[in-house]
Amino acid sequence: MRRPPLLFFLLALILSLSAVAVAEPPAPGKNDKCPVCGMFVTRHPDWMAIAELNDHPPLFLCGPKDLFKFIHFPGKYLPQTARQKIEAVHVKDYYSLSFIDGRQAVYVPGSDLLGPMGNELIPFKSRDEAAEFMRDHGGRPPVTFGEVTPQALLELD
Amino acid sequence: MNRSLERQRNILDFTLASLLRRKGKNLSLLAIYIFIVFIIASVTFFTTALKREALLLLSEAPEMVVQRLSAGRHDLISHDYAEGIAAIRGVTAVTPRLWGYYFDPTTGANYTLLVPPAGTAVPGVVTVGAGVARNLGLAADDLLPLRSYRGESLLYTVEAVLSSESELIATDLVLMAAGDFQQLFNMPPGFAVDLAVSVANPRELATVAGKIVERYPDTRPILKSEILRTYDAIFDWRGGMMIVLLMAAVFSFLVFAWDKAAGLSAEERREIGILKSIGWETGDVLLLKFWEGCAVSLSAFCLGVLFAFVHVFVFSAPIFAPALKGWAVIYPAFRLTPEVSPLQLAILFFLTVVPYTVATIVPSWRAATIDPDAAMRQ
Repeated sequence: MRRPPLLFFLLALILSLSAVAVAEPPAPGKNDKCPVCGMFVTRHPDWMAIAELNDHPPLFLCGPKDLFKFIHFPGKYLPQTARQKIEAVHVKDYYSLSFIDGRQAVYVPGSDLLGPMGNELIPFKSRDEAAEFMRDHGGRPPVTFGEVTPQALLELD
Repeated sequence: MNRSLERQRNILDFTLASLLRRKGKNLSLLAIYIFIVFIIASVTFFTTALKREALLLLSEAPEMVVQRLSAGRHDLISHDYAEGIAAIRGVTAVTPRLWGYYFDPTTGANYTLLVPPAGTAVPGVVTVGAGVARNLGLAADDLLPLRSYRGESLLYTVEAVLSSESELIATDLVLMAAGDFQQLFNMPPGFAVDLAVSVANPRELATVAGKIVERYPDTRPILKSEILRTYDAIFDWRGGMMIVLLMAAVFSFLVFAWDKAAGLSAEERREIGILKSIGWETGDVLLLKFWEGCAVSLSAFCLGVLFAFVHVFVFSAPIFAPALKGWAVIYPAFRLTPEVSPLQLAILFFLTVVPYTVATIVPSWRAATIDPDAAMRQ
């Protein structure tokens, strides 16, 4: 009867290790450029977004808006890339400037803040934060990851 | 190619010989020229070095400091404020700080008293800066007597003297425990001198400052960028005052140099005439005058900058220090980090060398184009 707890323990260890690996996104090099606009991403560290692909080194993008452009039209910026190959996306929470899961984040478009590529989708951990941000900086109602459509991106440019 | 190089060399040779022929006049010109470059270079080097040191110091400073005001003046701030400010969105930490100044009547010096964060200091024990130790003749394990605001005499054991490397920042520093600090200044517990506020996103600083003032109208948030601007303005102002004071010297040099460079004496005019009559061309004469200007101004520039460098970075600018550093009883003994930017040198160069060289060329061009016969007859 000693085996199950040990197995359970090992499983828990592996799970927690993978959780650490997910929580710690890759760091960009000095020469990493945004595949969408071509800017060096380390010049604007506060806005950086990351897309992890299953058959390609991680891509560093200069902001959430360019991240969504890449997600909607991946083949345009990285030949022969389908949307399914994108495994994880990371964006920086506006208030803490730490990376959060881009698929769980809430985005505020049309605020008075400008990112490196102009109007931006400002990412937040929670709707409360987004609501407080909108009291200070304005913007349109917050949207989730799935609600950012190519049409919504066009409105930002 | 080789021939034209040879020509330049010959003309330069002749130039140096002719400069040496009027040794007294040219050497005095050179001396004054060096002095002017030295003064201007010293002031720029010194103020930029001080600004850089201040910037280095402030890189560790908190992004925002919040003070409470009472009748428009800085007052103690309650820890309740810290909790309220920490609840504002975007604020990552609020640290209440305890620091102040202590005037020591026996030596006439001011000490900066500071409670290190995270309660690392042991009650009854202090760590002092090198300047305080020198001023009072203290060493480790000696006793530091201070008089509290209630009139009691308090004794603190000196645990250590801070190393001389931190002299510029910490020369007048006394580090003590929070309890000792409150006892010394008769301060109620639960109060801080000010609050250090850290905000993760620098874009939110102004918004957070606005919310603090809105929630606590009796406070004043001070941003680091404002402090940096003030420092810059102070040093620029002091440097500018120095330059204004020395303006008379600079102007007299300008007049002297202009007189020397712009108006050719009859003797020099005759010399140009003779050179032309023995076969020199106008271009050769201009080259001669150009080399003359270069020789004088370049050597003055190099020597002036070199002297200024030694004056500022080796001897810590003894000539201007009282005017530029401010005044205190305890002075940190420090040497500025030697660093000169190419931009500074370029500005100095264009302010001193280029105008002089240009000023010498125009009148000689006028003299060189007149008839040699007429020049010799004058």
